[in-house]
Amino acid sequence: MAELDGEQVRALAAAAGLPMADEDLAEVTHRVNAFVEALAPLAALPLESIEPLPLEPDPD
Amino acid sequence: MGGEDLAFLSAAELATLVRTRQVSPVELVRVYLERIDRLDGRLRAYIAVCRHEAVAAARRAEAAVIAGEPCGPLHGVPFAVKDQFDARGLPTTMGSRVLKDLVPDADATVVARLRAAGGVLLGKLNLTEFALGGTREFPFGQPRNPWNVEHDPGGSSSGSGIATATALCAFTLGEDTGGSVRSPAAWCGVVGLRPTWGRVSRAGVFPLSWSMDAAGPLGRSVGDCALVLSLIAGRDDRDPTTSRRPVPDYRSVLSGDVRGLRLGVVRELTQGAETHDEVRCAVEAAAARLGALGATVDEVSLPSIPLTGAAFMALADSEGAGLHARWLRERPGDYDAGTRRRLLSAGLLPATLVHQASRARALIRRQVLEALHRHDALLAPMAHTAAPLISAGRAPITSRADVGPRFFTRRCYGSPASLAGVPALSVPCGFTPGELPIGLQVIGRPFDEATILRVADAYERATDWHRRRPPD
Repeated sequence: MAELDGEQVRALAAAAGLPMADEDLAEVTHRVNAFVEALAPLAALPLESIEPLPLEPDPD
Repeated sequence: MGGEDLAFLSAAELATLVRTRQVSPVELVRVYLERIDRLDGRLRAYIAVCRHEAVAAARRAEAAVIAGEPCGPLHGVPFAVKDQFDARGLPTTMGSRVLKDLVPDADATVVARLRAAGGVLLGKLNLTEFALGGTREFPFGQPRNPWNVEHDPGGSSSGSGIATATALCAFTLGEDTGGSVRSPAAWCGVVGLRPTWGRVSRAGVFPLSWSMDAAGPLGRSVGDCALVLSLIAGRDDRDPTTSRRPVPDYRSVLSGDVRGLRLGVVRELTQGAETHDEVRCAVEAAAARLGALGATVDEVSLPSIPLTGAAFMALADSEGAGLHARWLRERPGDYDAGTRRRLLSAGLLPATLVHQASRARALIRRQVLEALHRHDALLAPMAHTAAPLISAGRAPITSRADVGPRFFTRRCYGSPASLAGVPALSVPCGFTPGELPIGLQVIGRPFDEATILRVADAYERATDWHRRRPPD
């Protein structure tokens, strides 16, 4: 995923119905891009057979 | 016995003194109120102190003892809870201006259970806003590390760590989503336990992440954590996710004997490049000590560790973003800037990435459980460093590169147990040359809190870290 710029983040926030004040925009942009970068390696994990269950049911 | 020595006794010892009429519950409350008045103006552990209610409860407890009525295991013992737990008639602020007027009419189940055991509630404790972490301006005052007030006490259960370490009550409750009991325990030099998800009720506890939140005790000893856990754990019909498994007497396993236990030191956390040398040395020394006590200690690898911090935040923060969406739209200015920006960022994550994080979580859980199949417990640092300066957490984020070290890296230490839903605790294992505490994390199998308590207790008996007191 390409790095987002501030205006793209502002547009995303508007589409999501979230406020994006000027004072928040730069930091939120950095955070979103950092998240995407940090999570990118997940694509290389062997997740095909993994069910996204948060926990295994407690039999008790 | 002087007031300070009394204040630092364990909850179990205090309960015995009350039951045997050697100390009055009213005197105990007054000892702690005096310490709060003297010390908390600087430390800011408490958001609210219910002094009149506490004195009244202590008088009732005293009358019960005099009348020869049955005394619960915590009769007359003062405690405090993170301001995330409902206590009837007291606001639950979550450390935020958003909720400063929210007053519940019933106790959280865990609070009710502690009161039923005889505990006297002293007040509500400070926390990072909405239990998220990264708060820059605390509405109820900056919590400070009692070992060095310029340093972070850890979070999100900041006040719980401070109040326990500084004996502003006998013990506290915190809530741990990704390390929020264990981190302040480590940085404040006390014991903090995160139970198995589903072991302790979340009824009346304001949520951060429904699938990872866990209420747990902080105490100045492993024994106190065992005692409190025994009292708060167990099935609660108000929280249908709680297990029906019987609750053992966790204190009964505290024998000091770890012979035959197999312990695995997590390589990626202990030897990781981000782990400071002083932390690594302390954890390695603790592992060696447990080996000398008769445990078998080897190394274990959890290859997904480097991904756990970001995966955890993607999952927990996206839940938080959903929970807070309406307030963010209607009153964004009532949030601390750090909290607001964290929630907004999570609200913009692609759903496909959150979904991948959810699948990665299951993979991480599988790796942790496989390691625990071969070991009775895992050992690791609770954090890559001792408590950092408060100013480091307030610095603005000016680039993408600032984010990882500040948010993802530190969560790689606490989040694996959270993602896997297993119990974990932090026990003091040393101090830095600058006299800041270091915590050893002990991670256990699902619903096997007994083993991690047994390991931590044996280590505590063989060391003196827990006897040190922060400077007044």
